[in-house]
Amino acid sequence: VSTERTYESAVARIEEIIRRLDSGDAGLRETLELVKEGRDLVEYCAGELEAVSSGLQELRLEELVARLEGAGASQ
Amino acid sequence: VSSGAESEATEALPESDLPGPFPVGSYAARLKTRLQQFANVQLIGEVWGFRSSRTRVYFELRDPRGALPCSMWQSDFEALDVSLTDGLKVVVGGGCDYYPGSSTSSPSFSFAVTELRIAGEGDLLAQLERLRRRLAAEGLFEHQKRLARPPLPKTIGVVTGERGKARDDVLAGLHRRGWAGRLVWAFAPVQDRHAAPRIAAALRELAAVPEVEVVIVARGGGSLADLFAFCDEGLCRTVALLRVPVIASVGHHTDRTLIDDVAAVCCSTPTHAAEAAVPIDCRAARAGMTTYARRLHGHGRRAILDRARTLGHLARAPDQHVARHRRHLHQMLRELRASAKRAGEQGRTRASTHLLVLRRTAERARGSDHAKRTRELERLMLALAAHDPQRTLARGYALVEDPGGEPLGSAAAAREAEDLRVRFHDGALRARVTNDEEAP
Repeated sequence: VSTERTYESAVARIEEIIRRLDSGDAGLRETLELVKEGRDLVEYCAGELEAVSSGLQELRLEELVARLEGAGASQ
Repeated sequence: VSSGAESEATEALPESDLPGPFPVGSYAARLKTRLQQFANVQLIGEVWGFRSSRTRVYFELRDPRGALPCSMWQSDFEALDVSLTDGLKVVVGGGCDYYPGSSTSSPSFSFAVTELRIAGEGDLLAQLERLRRRLAAEGLFEHQKRLARPPLPKTIGVVTGERGKARDDVLAGLHRRGWAGRLVWAFAPVQDRHAAPRIAAALRELAAVPEVEVVIVARGGGSLADLFAFCDEGLCRTVALLRVPVIASVGHHTDRTLIDDVAAVCCSTPTHAAEAAVPIDCRAARAGMTTYARRLHGHGRRAILDRARTLGHLARAPDQHVARHRRHLHQMLRELRASAKRAGEQGRTRASTHLLVLRRTAERARGSDHAKRTRELERLMLALAAHDPQRTLARGYALVEDPGGEPLGSAAAAREAEDLRVRFHDGALRARVTNDEEAP
């Protein structure tokens, strides 16, 4: 079973957490644990969204290759 | 022509037997007329050097044995809705034409094309279908479909023509998604015989960059011949085995190229391809995350506050309970006191009443006894008074007493006593017995 976190799996888990919290069946300890887990997931998703919101960066393939090769050579 | 020759006769070459010299414009006009008399025909060959001006399009029609410059009215060409690339085999219909030029413009010969169609389209389709079946049989249409597509790619590669409209459409699609990550353009020719290998090379290079998570291959509409580069076997095999998912948008939705079959996703327009590359609407997702965060915060806050409130109630409950009971006890005490007071007063009242009754009874009882006794007493007093010596004295009798006060009832006693005390009703006298006479 893959445990790798993805945006989709994180959103699905957040929705599951909110459904559980909305049901009102969770006790205090479970509620606090779910809220903490939910906040971590929201933070992760917000980070993923932030990465594609910082402004469109356009570059040509040749530029990218040159940059990567330059980075490789400097190492 | 002869009239022109006459006017310029003085300028004729002296050693020449040739007629003339004729004005070149007249000769050019004759040539134009003569060329136009050539029968209109169909020609077949490959297109080279296509270019267009405001009113006409120009290209050369070549085959191994020769070539012919061709031109066509722009309006006629546009009506065909095809684009011509180097090496494309076409059949044209038309005839010879000659532009004679002038003192300020150059002359030119061209085959004036009035009809045009791409040669061998039927063959192309059959060839395409055979290749499609072969690639499908090899399972090459499935590889890309099995690749996981990232919902939120940070780097997207795009293979398209540098000057094509597809480029703008891709940008518009990404903008619509609210996506603003890193976009790597790999520009390549998107038609003619060189296109397929260049596109395949661009795809391989993009896939070699680890950051690239998905690649879009985009090209606008065109004839089947235009799009044939995207049916190239080598290109399709490259796409099929690429490590990153490829989203293809080649031609219009009615066109179906082989790259559409091998790609992970095929879209009808470059805009849709961009949207398929970023399945999530980033703007909506950001708003959604804000909502999620708010709801989680609310749940966390309520979980604490509600319970704290409940605990507060519970903590106050014993005090409230005691206070309630204290109030109740005080109330009961007050009621008890009031009740006792009322009972005391009632008792007192009752006792007073009894007392009064008793007194009255006693008084009544005492009153009747008293009267009776009084009456008895009065009777006795009357009886006693009747025997009172004083009363007898009052009637004129006197009492003789010895000096000691004892009554002397007889003369003998008086004689014996000698000193006597004679009491009358109004006083007493001392007397002495001096004459002893016999009592009568």
